[in-house]
Amino acid sequence: MGKLVTEMLKGTLEGIVLAILSGRPAYGYEITTWLRDQGFSDIAEGTVYALLVRIEQRGFVDVEKVPSEKGPPRKVYSLNAAGQEYLEEFWRTWSFLAERLEQLHEGGR
Amino acid sequence: MAKGWTKALEKVYGPLEQKKRYRRYKARVEGLPASHRTAVEALQRYSYYFGGGTAEGGLAMLEDLADLFEQAAADGTPVREIVGEDPIEFAEAFLRNYPQGNWIIRERDRLTNAIARAEREGTPDEGTSR
Repeated sequence: MGKLVTEMLKGTLEGIVLAILSGRPAYGYEITTWLRDQGFSDIAEGTVYALLVRIEQRGFVDVEKVPSEKGPPRKVYSLNAAGQEYLEEFWRTWSFLAERLEQLHEGGR
Repeated sequence: MAKGWTKALEKVYGPLEQKKRYRRYKARVEGLPASHRTAVEALQRYSYYFGGGTAEGGLAMLEDLADLFEQAAADGTPVREIVGEDPIEFAEAFLRNYPQGNWIIRERDRLTNAIARAEREGTPDEGTSR
């Protein structure tokens, strides 16, 4: 599974992270830990961090700096209206893709 | 006049402020555990290949890099778990978020323009592949 899932995740990780944030605000480490617990065990923390920097620059999240017991303040990300809108578009696109792939899958049997 | 002054002040304080930020960044890197410091220094070196967009962008990138590795060190996250199996992939995904060097922008423009020019040169008739 390892290599293939990494490749497939590339285009969808952004949507996955926005979906996580639509549930509740979170910081990078929490998001990475959650993904690992869900079976995406190869996911790099830096990859998630780079993605968070990008969605912040694109204006999909609001960021709050919260002091932490150890290390620098943690950036807590929460989904805003623009992010919510983008997430809806992501789900529409995902449904389209999933439907087409399912058709191919069934046709191949 | 006011604009001139601002420019003059920026000339004096801008670079100075940036130098201070860079020194602060270096100090943060010095404070990291050896493994994390080695990784940050290697990533910084790699960034020069793309970098040179703006001093501001470069500094923002280095500060974000320091944030990531400081926080990871505090959480006890080993370097491999930060960077992943393929450091190049991480580095490029990360660096894409910041202004990139003039040369790479120029070369990308050159490629885009060359393809547009090629497109204007027409569509070959079927079967004429000389």
